[in-house]
Amino acid sequence: MTFILRRLAALIGVLIASSFLVFAAMYAAPGSPENFLVQGRTVSPDVLAAIRAQYSLDDPFLVRFWNWLINVLQGDFGRSLANQQDVGDLLAGRLPTTLMLVSLAAIIIVVLGVGLGILAGTKGGIVDKVVLLGSNLGFAIPTFFAALILMSIFSVGLGWFPVFGSGDGFFDRIWHLSLPALALALPSSAVVARITRTSIREERDSEHSVMARARGVAEGLVMRRHVIRNSMLPVSTIVGVHIAGLIAGSFVVEYAFTLDGIGTLLVNAVQRKDFAVVQAIAIVLVAAFGVINLLVDLLYASIDPRVKVQQTR
Amino acid sequence: MKQFAERMGTLGLIACGIILVVVLGALLAPIIAPYDPTIGSVTQRYQGMSAEHWFGTDQAGRDIFSRLVWGARSSLTGPLIVVVITAIFGTTIALTAVWFGGFVDSALSRVLDLLFAFPNLLLAMLAIAVFGPSLTTAALALAVAYIPYSARVVRSMAMRERNLPYIRSPELQGIPGAVITVRHLLPNVAPLIVTGATINFGFAMIELAALSFLGLGVQPPEADWGLMVSNGQQSLLNGYPAESVLAGLSIVITVAAVGYVGERLGGRAAAGRKA
Amino acid sequence: MLDITTLSLTIGPDRQILRDVSLSVAAGEAVGLVGESGSGKSMTLRSILQIEPTGSEVTGSITLDDVDVRALRGEELRRMRANDVSMIAQNPHAVLNPVLPVERYLIEGMHDAQGQPTRTARLRAGELLEQVGIDAVDRVLRSYPHQLSGGMLQRVVIAGAIAGKPRLMLADEPTTALDVTTQAEVMAILDECRHELGMAMLFVTHDLDLAAAVCDRIAVMKDGEIVEIGLPEQLRDNPQHPYTRTLMESRPAGITWTLEGDTTP
Ligand SMILES: Nc1ncnc2c1ncn2[C@@H]1O[C@H](COP(=O)(O)OP(=O)(O)OP(=O)(O)O)[C@@H](O)[C@H]1O
Ligand SMILES: [Mg+2]
Repeated sequence: MTFILRRLAALIGVLIASSFLVFAAMYAAPGSPENFLVQGRTVSPDVLAAIRAQYSLDDPFLVRFWNWLINVLQGDFGRSLANQQDVGDLLAGRLPTTLMLVSLAAIIIVVLGVGLGILAGTKGGIVDKVVLLGSNLGFAIPTFFAALILMSIFSVGLGWFPVFGSGDGFFDRIWHLSLPALALALPSSAVVARITRTSIREERDSEHSVMARARGVAEGLVMRRHVIRNSMLPVSTIVGVHIAGLIAGSFVVEYAFTLDGIGTLLVNAVQRKDFAVVQAIAIVLVAAFGVINLLVDLLYASIDPRVKVQQTR
Repeated sequence: MKQFAERMGTLGLIACGIILVVVLGALLAPIIAPYDPTIGSVTQRYQGMSAEHWFGTDQAGRDIFSRLVWGARSSLTGPLIVVVITAIFGTTIALTAVWFGGFVDSALSRVLDLLFAFPNLLLAMLAIAVFGPSLTTAALALAVAYIPYSARVVRSMAMRERNLPYIRSPELQGIPGAVITVRHLLPNVAPLIVTGATINFGFAMIELAALSFLGLGVQPPEADWGLMVSNGQQSLLNGYPAESVLAGLSIVITVAAVGYVGERLGGRAAAGRKA
Repeated sequence: MLDITTLSLTIGPDRQILRDVSLSVAAGEAVGLVGESGSGKSMTLRSILQIEPTGSEVTGSITLDDVDVRALRGEELRRMRANDVSMIAQNPHAVLNPVLPVERYLIEGMHDAQGQPTRTARLRAGELLEQVGIDAVDRVLRSYPHQLSGGMLQRVVIAGAIAGKPRLMLADEPTTALDVTTQAEVMAILDECRHELGMAMLFVTHDLDLAAAVCDRIAVMKDGEIVEIGLPEQLRDNPQHPYTRTLMESRPAGITWTLEGDTTP
């Protein structure tokens, strides 16, 4: 319990520090925000002053950071510099697509990565060779390239899946997002499959597995209870790391499939230097990244009794 | 040499060959490439494979083979910058932390923790938002994102060596810490740094290509593999796959080759340590 | 009862671990297998249960009451391992699955391997722990391996090994990983259990004195070969092989073993 609290406190500290970092970076960026707002038009000094006042651009840096932080904590992310929309609303509208995409990809990583890894680790022979080769190549395939190839084969060529868009309604969304999720999950699945396989190989010859066999426990049970179960300990951390990594990977895939998720929003905001949006997304993503990593550690502590003891001491 | 060949195995030697071809292509691009990669002609759009244009032309009528060869340059220099900077700073930070320990160590750890909080691509995109899109910005930002990983690995290994007699006794003799660190500690963590660099190279290549694909890295009309995949996207969906597919495959093959060689080298580093 | 005849074991192309090992254990008899580290004692025991490392080449025969145990496969092999022969391994910390509590270890042996009903197994788990001298039975049953000391774990392993009332016990240096005081306790418990159940035992150690205290006969092993077999007093008073002599002379003046229920004079 104290372990959880300590980790939460650390996460909050990191979040505050990283918001400061992001805010400071945007503040120090070359080119002033009001120039961006007037977009090259010549305006009178009065208008400029009004704009500066509207966005509190004349306040000292720390005051602006403080106000921004307080607002963010109250759920107010400010307004987009590009189109005046409320950033919070903008984010909320984009969230479902990204969430769905990342969740589907996470499921694919677990099913495909862990599944193939177990298959290769337990079966050996030709299955093993194929999985090993596939994972060697798989991790080298950039998500955007996988996206393009999948799209051209299954959407354009065979017409099984829609080419663009995120769909509406639950099942329509899944249908629209399954190819993007597959592209997103492919490299991670390759890595996870490899690590699972190695882990299974190691556990298969571990003393407790061998002794379980020596005690007359049936091979299938030894596999399930000793080999697969224990090899999942290191695998679960790797899976967690990769699922957290999907957050950043999703930008690219969303952009490739022109999905209306957070990633596309971020890419567009970066291209247009819409700092209000960039800041907000950065903070939300850092928070999500931190929370997933924390959850993974907690999960690990709950499945491995040895970890719990070390941490609570 | 023979030892190296044995360590690599057949696949490893093939991988080395691939890397050699790509590097030579990048170095000799002006000689090899038959056309200027940035200039096309409207009358030459979407040509198929021919003796004139080995891999055809893109939608702007530029020679795809020439663009692939020139693209090897930016596609290799980007990751190279990332890897070198990561190795230098990661190692320096790690060894500084290990040598001084205590407050210095924990302060540096806090800074690294902060960097750890950002997914790599996000950090790169923030830097690009501030400084504008370019290969240099993207590569520097990715290097900053990779430093904590490299520093953490080197730190934990150097930490184990720190209290061994071969480090302790010169320290007690009053030899300066910097000298001991460079002369004794560094050679011991060197294999680890090399393996780490090969692993980072593959990741950097993919992530830089992704940034170029998003329009945030290498800028048109320069030739770059990631940019070519994105540039050829529309053509691909219209039935002219050559540009995207060839550029994408170049990335896949190069990353896989570097990864495989790195894995083999890593095996040697690990074996060397045990002996 | 157990007859090992010209057993040889090679790993890889040229690594010969065992060479023409022949050894027999009669019903109820305790035979010691003594030798220095790396001489092949553990491999001999493991060959009996077919748990030698993968990639080993084994020749020769091992029979248990005239059944060729090396030829057993599948269900027959499993039943032999579950009911007839038990093994206590060298390092108790590695034998139990680190993520399962002790109770699961014992129930696995009785229920999953020997086919006793779960409820019976659960009841007997407690009884067995009492039998090997554990007081805080419930606490130990609920504990995970890393929470227990080596001595405690080895008792748990012994409890698991006697649960199926096997005819033959293979004990591979059951006390080497333990500290000196626990060694004597664990050894006493093992010896007592053996006498109670009338089990035969093949007992591996590199402590000749300990072997002499526990065993009826002792085999001396060196570099994968058995160089001498005899009664404990024979080896002590009149060793034939020079290696046995070295072993006798180099033995540490450590603990003297006296065990309850000791049948050797
Ligand atoms: N998995 C393995 N692969 C290859 N060689 C092995 C393997 N396990 C053991 N050996 C070798 O087999 C030989 C005999 O090992 P064994 O474990 O039987 O020795 P031992 O007599 O039990 O020694 P100790 O007293 O240390 O337990 C040793 O030389 C060892 O190096
Ligand atoms: Mg042994």
